[in-house]
Amino acid sequence: MKIDKKLDKILKRVEKPARYIGGEVNSVVKDPTEVSVRMGFCFPDTYEIGMSYTGMQVLYNVLNKNPQIACERAFAPAPDMEELMRQEGMELFTLETFTPLRQMDVVGFTLQYEMSFTNILNMLDLAGLEVRREEREETDPVIVAGGPCAFNPEPLADFIDMFLVGDGEELLEQVLLLKQEASSKAEYLAKCGKLDGVYVPSFYDVSYNEDGTVRAYEKLVPDAPDRVRRAVLQDLDKAEFPTANIVPFIDAVHDRSVVETFRGCTRGCRFCQAGMIYRPVRERKKDTILDIAMKQLKNTGHEELSLLSLSTSDHSEFEDMATELMGLCKAQNVALSLPSLRLDSFSFKVLDEIQGYRKSGLTFAPEAGTQRLRDIINKNITEDDIYSAVEQAIELGWETIKLYFMDGLPGETFEDLDGIADIAKKIRDINYDIRGRKGGRFRITVSVSNFVPKPHTPFQWAPQDRPESFIKKHDHLREKLRMKGVTFNYHETKTSTLEAIIARGDRKVGSLIEKAWRMGCKFDAWTEYHAPELWEKAMEETGVTAEFYAYRERSYEEILPWEIIDPLIDRRFLERENEKAKQAMVTPDCRQGCAGCGMNKHVKCFYGVEEGRFPVNTGKEAAHE
Amino acid sequence: MSKYVIEFSKTGTICYTSHLDVMRMFKRAFKRAGIALSYSQGFNPHPKMGFAQPLSLGYEAEEEFIEFETPDDREPAELLEALRITMPEGIDLKKCERQRKERKTLSSMTCAAIYEAVIPLHGKKCDVDGQIGSYLAQDRIVTLKKQKKKKELKEVDIKPMIRQITGAVADDELVLEMLMDQGSTSNLSPELILSTFMTFAGIDTDRSEVRVKRKKILFTEDPFQ
Ligand code: SF4
Repeated sequence: MKIDKKLDKILKRVEKPARYIGGEVNSVVKDPTEVSVRMGFCFPDTYEIGMSYTGMQVLYNVLNKNPQIACERAFAPAPDMEELMRQEGMELFTLETFTPLRQMDVVGFTLQYEMSFTNILNMLDLAGLEVRREEREETDPVIVAGGPCAFNPEPLADFIDMFLVGDGEELLEQVLLLKQEASSKAEYLAKCGKLDGVYVPSFYDVSYNEDGTVRAYEKLVPDAPDRVRRAVLQDLDKAEFPTANIVPFIDAVHDRSVVETFRGCTRGCRFCQAGMIYRPVRERKKDTILDIAMKQLKNTGHEELSLLSLSTSDHSEFEDMATELMGLCKAQNVALSLPSLRLDSFSFKVLDEIQGYRKSGLTFAPEAGTQRLRDIINKNITEDDIYSAVEQAIELGWETIKLYFMDGLPGETFEDLDGIADIAKKIRDINYDIRGRKGGRFRITVSVSNFVPKPHTPFQWAPQDRPESFIKKHDHLREKLRMKGVTFNYHETKTSTLEAIIARGDRKVGSLIEKAWRMGCKFDAWTEYHAPELWEKAMEETGVTAEFYAYRERSYEEILPWEIIDPLIDRRFLERENEKAKQAMVTPDCRQGCAGCGMNKHVKCFYGVEEGRFPVNTGKEAAHE
Repeated sequence: MSKYVIEFSKTGTICYTSHLDVMRMFKRAFKRAGIALSYSQGFNPHPKMGFAQPLSLGYEAEEEFIEFETPDDREPAELLEALRITMPEGIDLKKCERQRKERKTLSSMTCAAIYEAVIPLHGKKCDVDGQIGSYLAQDRIVTLKKQKKKKELKEVDIKPMIRQITGAVADDELVLEMLMDQGSTSNLSPELILSTFMTFAGIDTDRSEVRVKRKKILFTEDPFQ
């Protein structure tokens, strides 16, 4: 690709210029005159992070397969690049054709985490576009957004023209194809608004009660839906999945072949948004997975293959699949990585074989330190599970154990925190028993993240811990975990508060995001750029308080801003789960019986419709019930 | 087991990829093309593949070389074709030839390289030949160079490593052609010639406007033999 002199000059002065050149193997460059709609697909973080998201590759592939559509990419330029672009008056461009984003028909953002929201405004601004939808011109591109955070679109409702909620691979293509059928933006939004999964914020006016809670959503367009039903892909096995992923030139966070094995999760952890919003479980067949994996490796030349799902071992054909993949990867000199395995004897056999003498750390996510609290959050793992797995691991030669917990969970007491230390201590003792008092180079890492209540989960009403409380808990844990061979990590507290504000925000939170961005906030997910003082100032100026959005317990009577989106699971189910949590009652995995979330009223759910179709999991995970 | 050398060029935006990026890119291209590479023995086996000389990020190149070893024996033309179709834009593979098994590595045979730098003058007059003459007539050409290990700056005299410089002005641009030591025994970065020469000649064009290209790598023996 020939490059213009202005850009060339800039590229000579920035770090990692290959972030901005495109041209990677398998990227798709189309002649703009031969397509009917052009989309600029934006990831609101740096290239290395964005290129590691499989979802982006999935949509890029679906869209570019369609001869009528050109999908081009843009990422958030790093601050050094941004500065030079602004200095030289250069607008944000797509990597495929160096076309200014402003010339695209549709510009889409993927919403993966709240702390990337300021980058969205910044990218719009760098593209020469107004950030507020009302101030943009008829000729400006239509701005869309999708991804997990679109399940609460309200904090971005003032900036985005249209949200796509739910599975995107069919919906986004439909939406783009409608573009040519509409002669104005209004007509376009009206047409798209008829599709399941499309939320057009300008179709609704939100009024608030005096206490700041939502009073009502008033429809400004008569045929706008009362609630926007999320889009659901019925058959994952038949859905398009990339077999020729873009291969970045530079080191991305993950740069490997990836196949999504299933979507959804049957476990029903009460804190987990993904486990709720991606119901029901939909699998790709083993043979489809193997086929895609082999094609990807052939077309990319990757040296590593990984599988993507919420819980790798839960695939109904997992053991056969893992065994076959191991054979295929070995024959091709490809490393296989299997994340989030349930650690039973089969997994150990697999891990031992694929990791060989280079064993990476073994990861456990008990999430909470006592059985009582694990029952509250419905995390079905017992200490016996962990200890017997640790024993096997140590005997097989693993030397690093990583443990993940959350603090600030509903119903948590200091005893639960002590439980975290007890688990670490017990694991250390197991190692002493096996390896002797010196214990070898054995290390335990305990990572604790601050609980952020998320929309559409049973904990969506829960108050978040205040920073003082988090700090006290971290101090307590630090004391308790002062043990030889144990490392303790925890999350930045101020970021967690902000995440909670935005995650459960309403439209008023939009002005906070805009204010913070105007004050200079961006790359808030990066510790080195995040500026909590600016956010605090922006909160003061906009009147958005943590008290209201983060620390407050919501009542069942309250209209929650994100309920404009219908996740297709019943609110009553969420309430029931929240009540059961208060009594530390567990709800079994869907594979042991339908928990009645309501999903099967809308789409076919394996476990909810035909019980017993899949082998019921009688493993010891549920033994404590 | 067979050894091959491929000559290629690197032009356009892909010049913003680093030496390591290009290395990884080639490794993957071999995989895509279905060409197995031989691996070294030992705990950390790595594919037997290497470049004559690393190319700095931002430089284009006309004549680069990569050598590799495969367990199979295939016709060079066939290898070239299989690889060609899977290369990203900007990397053009020119020829492939079999190499003698017992020969030294390309990098140990590299002794010098020719670089071309295009420097916009922005209307400034420049007596090229005169400037080059007096630049080279200095007793020593001293500049600061980053030490590999300590990362400290150290004074070096680069003059003994400069073999030849010629220049011409056309279209308000100064084109310098520089021949210098490169390789494992003596190695000079063209950046050091550029910066010292531009200071010497009073050319204040910003470095970001200068385009550099490696035109040729010189070897102690013919790389295609
Ligand atoms: S319908 Fe039943 S089985 Fe299906 S996801 Fe909901 S609770 Fe699980």
